[in-house]
Amino acid sequence: MLKILRKEIKAFLKDRRAVMLTFLMPTILITVFALAFGSGGGDDVHKIALLVCDQDKSEITKSTINDIDSVKMIEVIPCAYDTAIDLIKKGKRTSVLIFRKGFSDSVKNLHPLPLDFKYDAARVQETGILQSILPKALFSGTVGKLITKEYFGEKLNMLDSATRYKVFAALAFGGALSDNNGKDISPEKIMRVNSTSIIAAQVGNIGLVQAVAGTAVMMLLFSLTGMGGGLLDEKEQGTLKRLLYSPVHPSQILLGKMAASIIVAIFQLSIMFIFASLVFHLHIADKILPLTILIFATAVACSGFGVFLATLARSRSQLQGMSTLIILSMSVIGGSMVPIFLMPQWMQNVSVVSINYWSIQGFYDILWRQLPIGPLFLTKVGILLAIGITLTLIAFRFFRKNVMALE
Amino acid sequence: MIEVKNIQKSYGEIKAVKGISFSIHTGECYGLLGPNGAGKSTTINMLSTLFPPDTGEITINGLNVKTSIEEIKKILGVVPQEIALYSNFTAWENMMFWGGLHSINKTDLTKKAEELLQLVGLSDRKDEKIKGYSGGMKRRINLACALLHTPKILLLDEPTVGVDPQSRNMIFELIEQLNKDGLTIIYTTHYMEEAERLCDRIGIIDSGVILAQGTLDELKRHSEIKDVIVVECSQTPDEAYLISKLNLNVKVTDHTVYIESNDSKKDLTRCVIGCSEAGYEIHHIDIQKANLENVFLKLTGKQLRD
Repeated sequence: MLKILRKEIKAFLKDRRAVMLTFLMPTILITVFALAFGSGGGDDVHKIALLVCDQDKSEITKSTINDIDSVKMIEVIPCAYDTAIDLIKKGKRTSVLIFRKGFSDSVKNLHPLPLDFKYDAARVQETGILQSILPKALFSGTVGKLITKEYFGEKLNMLDSATRYKVFAALAFGGALSDNNGKDISPEKIMRVNSTSIIAAQVGNIGLVQAVAGTAVMMLLFSLTGMGGGLLDEKEQGTLKRLLYSPVHPSQILLGKMAASIIVAIFQLSIMFIFASLVFHLHIADKILPLTILIFATAVACSGFGVFLATLARSRSQLQGMSTLIILSMSVIGGSMVPIFLMPQWMQNVSVVSINYWSIQGFYDILWRQLPIGPLFLTKVGILLAIGITLTLIAFRFFRKNVMALE
Repeated sequence: MIEVKNIQKSYGEIKAVKGISFSIHTGECYGLLGPNGAGKSTTINMLSTLFPPDTGEITINGLNVKTSIEEIKKILGVVPQEIALYSNFTAWENMMFWGGLHSINKTDLTKKAEELLQLVGLSDRKDEKIKGYSGGMKRRINLACALLHTPKILLLDEPTVGVDPQSRNMIFELIEQLNKDGLTIIYTTHYMEEAERLCDRIGIIDSGVILAQGTLDELKRHSEIKDVIVVECSQTPDEAYLISKLNLNVKVTDHTVYIESNDSKKDLTRCVIGCSEAGYEIHHIDIQKANLENVFLKLTGKQLRD
């Protein structure tokens, strides 16, 4: 038995691909997942960027902004109002907290606070987190201290800290009070934050758009890489050599494969969205044109990627190992598995290198943010097309070097 | 029709072809005989314009393979060593695809495909997928696909590997017929009997070098290989007597006499008479003809299938 065991271990270690699949690939994937969802191993906390627009420019607002900035999970970015709205509309930022003129007077006079919170409803997780953190930040900071001192007066002592927070949260974001002690406070008159979405998002659709777009793009990458791998099968079976014997230019072989991939991709994506529409009621009926444009651009990018990987590899097995690693990594960082806004900021910055990112964000624009065909949407389409064309051009080079090296 | 002048080809450090030259006339069947790794397929690939030689020159019909790729591809038919067919396609679908690459109009292509299917004996199975075919049937379709555009020259790279005797014979008959009809053929093989049967001239290639080329008789003469007349007698003959009587190279082992001859038909009678005159009763007579195996062994010092 020991001899068999020794032989098995030896055979395993001699199979470099098996060793790589067993140890290296999971290690790399764990690293990518950890970086995407974790903090990179240190004490860093995934900070959510919050634009802050201070129109009051008073000592109280400055102090309040500092209070918010001191919260570990929030990164305050001072910003002018118009710029902030533009950044949110472009999907570059999630939300803005606006201290309107007269904020400090309102605090002092216990008038309703002119405090607006404008956000992108498509970024429901991030804005949800902010809406739960902000009251605490305000309550425990300058504003909270001033208001509780002014308003509660001697009543303050009646409330324990937890109850005071509940009261404040309700004041800020309109939750229900849960403690009888706060019932006679009538707080909403003073401290309501006006929360409004500035993106006309489809309510309740975010998860569906994420699921359909994320899954569709990831599966498309897998299937088109498999199709691209047909080149390697043709090489191994000898049909590629026969194609090269015939009056067909090598570039025609690659372009033919590319075109077939694009057609399959268009059908695959279309069927997925039609399925989601029929079964899960994803609203696509009035989005046919932008959806078609984006599906085409995604198909070009993914086909280019499939052909590129196939020409980079020297065998089917090499392609399989390589594609699993790259596609899973791209899908993680690009937002196919979970929305990118749940990742650390630096990871979100990295995600732009993936096809998944541009495609999924494009689908968000159409199906969630309800954006019309405009520069924002067309930029994503352009980037996808550029990725597809660039990868195809590189594939031509590798095709001659790797695939056509028949001997 | 084909002129190959001192061509060389290397893959990295490995020199696959080391300066070979030969010429082939119109309507000739030329065989490249050599073991695996001798450089046969590399030579075929250079002839078929798949890649150019590193040095040297190949001209086909006066066209240089480096500069007239498209024109040469039109007159060349290549049967690769592999079964280069789409196994999920039927024979008919394969023929339509491969023929279609040569821009033949559909009517002509259909007619030609039917004709070739008839020729390779697969008309009744044309609508079956290739993956259901036997090795021999696949080889026959593999060959037929190279003939769809009616080429002037046919390059066959070991077309009978893994083929059953029936299919092999059918392929031989087809090649003989095509050659008779005027098709110029280059045939690579490591089977001597194929080269002997099919080829007008043979080039013996080993380690990237053509060691000798010519007709079978020329090769035998070149390598000084002779036929051997084997005479089995009732008792052990006297070797010295037979040498003096026949004036040939004679060896006697036990009851058997081995006589080397350049013309076995002519010397056979003399041998029989010589043995009879010496009073030896002859039990059995055989002629071991000099063949390519002997020639190859003599030229390379190794068996062809080593």
